[in-house]
Amino acid sequence: MRWVGRSLLSVVPVVVGVVLCVFFLIRIVPGDPAAMILGDQATQASIDALHEQLGLDLPLGTQLWNWLVGVFTRGDIGTSLITSQPVAGLVWSRAGITAGLVLLAVGFTVLLAVPLALLAATHAGSWLDQLVRVVPTIGMAMPAFWVGLLLILVFGVNLHWLPVGGVGTGPGEPLRSLVLPAFTVALGMSPPLVRSLREQLLEVLDADFVVTLRAARLPRWRVNSHVLRNAAVPTVSLLGLNIAYLIGGTLVIEKVFAINGLGALLFSSISSRDFPVVQGIALVLALVVVVVSLLTEALVALLDPRIRAA
Amino acid sequence: MTFRTAAARAVAVLVAVSALAACTASPGPSATSSSTGPQKGGTIVYGRSAAVTSFDLNNEITANNAFAIDKVFEPLVSFDTEGKIIPWLAEKYTVSPDLLTYTFDLRPDLEFSDGTPVTAADARFSLERHLKVQGPLPLEAPIRSIVATATHTLTITLKSPYTPFLSELSGFSNGIFPADFGGRTEKDFFAKPIGTGPWVVQAWDPNGDTTFTANPHYWQEGKPYAASLIYKVVSDDTQRIQQLQAGQLAGIEDVAPASLEQLQGNSEVSVAKLGSWAVEQVFFNTRNAHFADRHVRRAVAYAIDREGITKATTFGAAQTVHTLIPPTIQYSADVQALDNDPAAAQRELAASAYPDGFSATLMINSGDSARAQEAQIIQAALKPLHIDVKIEPLELNSFRERFKAFQYDFMINSGQSDAPDPDGLITFQADPDGFSHSFWTHYTNPQVTKLMRQGRTTADGPQREQIYARIQQILADDVPYIPLYNPDNVVASEASVHGLSPRINGSVLFQDVWVQQ
Amino acid sequence: MTGTATRTVPRPGVRWLRRALRNPTLIAGAVIMLVVLALAVFSPTPYDPFAQDLDHGLAPPSPAHWFGTDQLGRDILSRVVAATRTDLRIAVLAAVVPFVVGVAVGLVSGYAGGWLDWIVGRVVDTFVAFPFYVLVIVVVFAAGTGERGIYVAYALVGWISYARVIRAKTRSLCRQGWVEAAYGGGLSHTRVVGRHLLPNVLPQAVVLLMTEILLIMVAVVTLGYLGLGVQPPTPDWGTMISDGQLFLTTKWWVSTLPGLAVVTTGVGLSLLGDGLADVWRLR
Repeated sequence: MRWVGRSLLSVVPVVVGVVLCVFFLIRIVPGDPAAMILGDQATQASIDALHEQLGLDLPLGTQLWNWLVGVFTRGDIGTSLITSQPVAGLVWSRAGITAGLVLLAVGFTVLLAVPLALLAATHAGSWLDQLVRVVPTIGMAMPAFWVGLLLILVFGVNLHWLPVGGVGTGPGEPLRSLVLPAFTVALGMSPPLVRSLREQLLEVLDADFVVTLRAARLPRWRVNSHVLRNAAVPTVSLLGLNIAYLIGGTLVIEKVFAINGLGALLFSSISSRDFPVVQGIALVLALVVVVVSLLTEALVALLDPRIRAA
Repeated sequence: MTFRTAAARAVAVLVAVSALAACTASPGPSATSSSTGPQKGGTIVYGRSAAVTSFDLNNEITANNAFAIDKVFEPLVSFDTEGKIIPWLAEKYTVSPDLLTYTFDLRPDLEFSDGTPVTAADARFSLERHLKVQGPLPLEAPIRSIVATATHTLTITLKSPYTPFLSELSGFSNGIFPADFGGRTEKDFFAKPIGTGPWVVQAWDPNGDTTFTANPHYWQEGKPYAASLIYKVVSDDTQRIQQLQAGQLAGIEDVAPASLEQLQGNSEVSVAKLGSWAVEQVFFNTRNAHFADRHVRRAVAYAIDREGITKATTFGAAQTVHTLIPPTIQYSADVQALDNDPAAAQRELAASAYPDGFSATLMINSGDSARAQEAQIIQAALKPLHIDVKIEPLELNSFRERFKAFQYDFMINSGQSDAPDPDGLITFQADPDGFSHSFWTHYTNPQVTKLMRQGRTTADGPQREQIYARIQQILADDVPYIPLYNPDNVVASEASVHGLSPRINGSVLFQDVWVQQ
Repeated sequence: MTGTATRTVPRPGVRWLRRALRNPTLIAGAVIMLVVLALAVFSPTPYDPFAQDLDHGLAPPSPAHWFGTDQLGRDILSRVVAATRTDLRIAVLAAVVPFVVGVAVGLVSGYAGGWLDWIVGRVVDTFVAFPFYVLVIVVVFAAGTGERGIYVAYALVGWISYARVIRAKTRSLCRQGWVEAAYGGGLSHTRVVGRHLLPNVLPQAVVLLMTEILLIMVAVVTLGYLGLGVQPPTPDWGTMISDGQLFLTTKWWVSTLPGLAVVTTGVGLSLLGDGLADVWRLR
């Protein structure tokens, strides 16, 4: 329980830090949202009027305070300057797609990384091991958008097996639409995990307790599951970190595959200087990342009792 | 196996995948010709680059909204594929001999999409609201009065002759809507608009897709053919094309010319082109020290090979132009233009205040591959003149901010007319006192301004033609901007979709489109 | 040691070299990177990478142009080679500040422990939770497209990868006890960190550096795709890939060949990093 309290203590400054940074950062960019909303014909008077209406004429500190108050008292993370829709609603409608993409990508990553790492570790030194070590290297060197483009061409345009982009409606369609983007992400995310897991497996496979387990004639899969459990710890941490980076970085994949998730919304709201939307999304993303970090730590503690005791 | 072999193998796999991807799409079944004619029903899913953010027709100017607004609201008159004015909601119209009184006879059986009959009072309300609101595309005509002289007759009187009047009225921003917004508040009305147009808004996400259903009360018999129309937002050019080819979209707008070859080679897709009202130009900030000098601008114009630029960047989807008014707009003239003459360029520069050259920054909006190529061609073309060009790509909103504040040297941008009459384009680009300040070049020439005013009040005919010919020649001599090419509007559609072709303004008449079931 | 009394024990440097030469990963990586480096430094372009030829745009690979020409008739092979210099330079330059800052922060934080370590940990967490592309986009919008944005963005967030790893390594070294002994023996903090800890964490940092350069290179290429990258007409792999996107199926050489250059360089960096890690017994 103390651990939970300590974790929360670590979490709060992180979220606050991200939110503050984004708040000031987005206002560095040149460009006045009021001028953009009113368009070409805007006179200075009408721009000033809109500033007042939207609260953009208040000093920065006041704007920040008002926003924070709104968040904590009403759970209101702001209203879009451009469309006047509540940010929470906007985020909610897009979050599902991005969440689906992230989850599916993580799933593919695990499905790719674990068997490959096991294969390499159990055949250490052979050509199979070398192959498994080299191919992911290529995955890391290929920009995700390039991989995505190629996959679209092969599987979408030429073979017509999977949708090339967008998120379809209808039974099973959203899932089908996310397969290629999630796979693209997994190809980029799995190499470091394969490497890390393989290393850990090699270390563990050499360890004393494994010899003991094998000598006790435990079935191969049970030995392997023990091995995996022990080897997984650093890799799980690494996975958690990568998921954190992924959550903030779906932007490019969403653009390549025309998915209107949070990443795409983030990009478009920065482009249109829609401050509240940018702030709102950053807040939500920071919270999710923090939750993921906590879950990762919990999972690690679960896997390795030594950490729990610490 | 050593790493080198493994790596080589992997690279080979990579190349193989790329080669596989490079194979053209397998030819599908050829489009069956319909023997029965247009079929009713079905849904058209149309891919567009941006979402619809507003249906308030009097306050909008951008294409993403205009081409949704024109599905719901229609104007009194319209234009055909050649830009000629044709009757639309008004089945007949007359102009008095003194050019001051316009009488419009509305179609008698015209109804709004909720079934209420359309009267001249509605038309009057709509136009008066536009006059009150002004907006980015205001009614410039000097209107004295708008009167509903009969249930279906509207009489508009002008204070002075204004030849572009009918052309203005054909614009989407002059659509007709119910008087008093049908009893609702303005805000409510534009959240769920009612008009005479072929489509009714069923669902609308200002950040995403818009769904229309067919208007059962539409005045064109039997149309629209399809039951519903969905405007799907796919902002990435490549994605739109890929989704069309994969069958996820029935049609797409804004087809990038670079992809034409790929699409034309695909038998499951058909491409339709029509000339547009846009002109790609290089604009000079005439307040900039270097470009205030007429000789410098003329030198740059001589140095550029317009035909070369068009060939390299537009893939057959544009025509080179030498004058501001494109061939698709009335009174486009053959001018003596300064084009592709390096020797003349040297002479002009030598006659200027900067004979040894100078540095300048060419501003473009980032993310536009064609413009980036154009900029690089221009940069290379100016090198022999010792004009050192630095290219500055800016994100779109920053780009707009900069040129509207006159913080640029010269830029590549596109001039667009919203109407078939040349007056709109000329005013936007040559009137220093208008809000656009001569398309932000601040070009000021009293002679052009005088001719501009004359053009507005002279009736169509050889005299008016003369006026615009003179304006164009002066602009070609002074080159405050260098017209490069007139791009086509290009749309593409799946084989099962018939009748999808662009209008000159880039919109599509979806009531004429039908889907093979 | 199983050697006989008469066998001489080679000096550590030679031992290292022998190990290095026996490691295929390191050899492969080093060879690739040497070629890439040579291309970047000497830039042996058969044609002027800026020379346009509007009448012969988009020509397929041929004896005259091994990689074909791009839209403006420029030789793609020359541009790919020239881009090697641009992209490698940007990636290496952008990696320097994060390397220095990250290692320093990691060392200090791991050595000092306590509340300083806790604060640094929270700052690191904040940056992890910060959407990276938001930062880059904002910086690029504010500072203009091109290299500046990348340098600033990476200087701001790139250091955390090093900080985390070096901090962990420092802490594990500190737990070994000899660090305390050194300090207890009279060495100042600076000497302990600078002369004793630093050389021990440096190998790990250098291996990480290879990966980071790779990631920066990929990020530069991705920014080019987003239209926020290196300004034209400077050749850059990302912009070349992005420019050729629209004719990927009809004129494949425009996008694919720069893409292969990216992958090859990336593989080289990766192999080099892995090889070094092998040789330094880090894995």
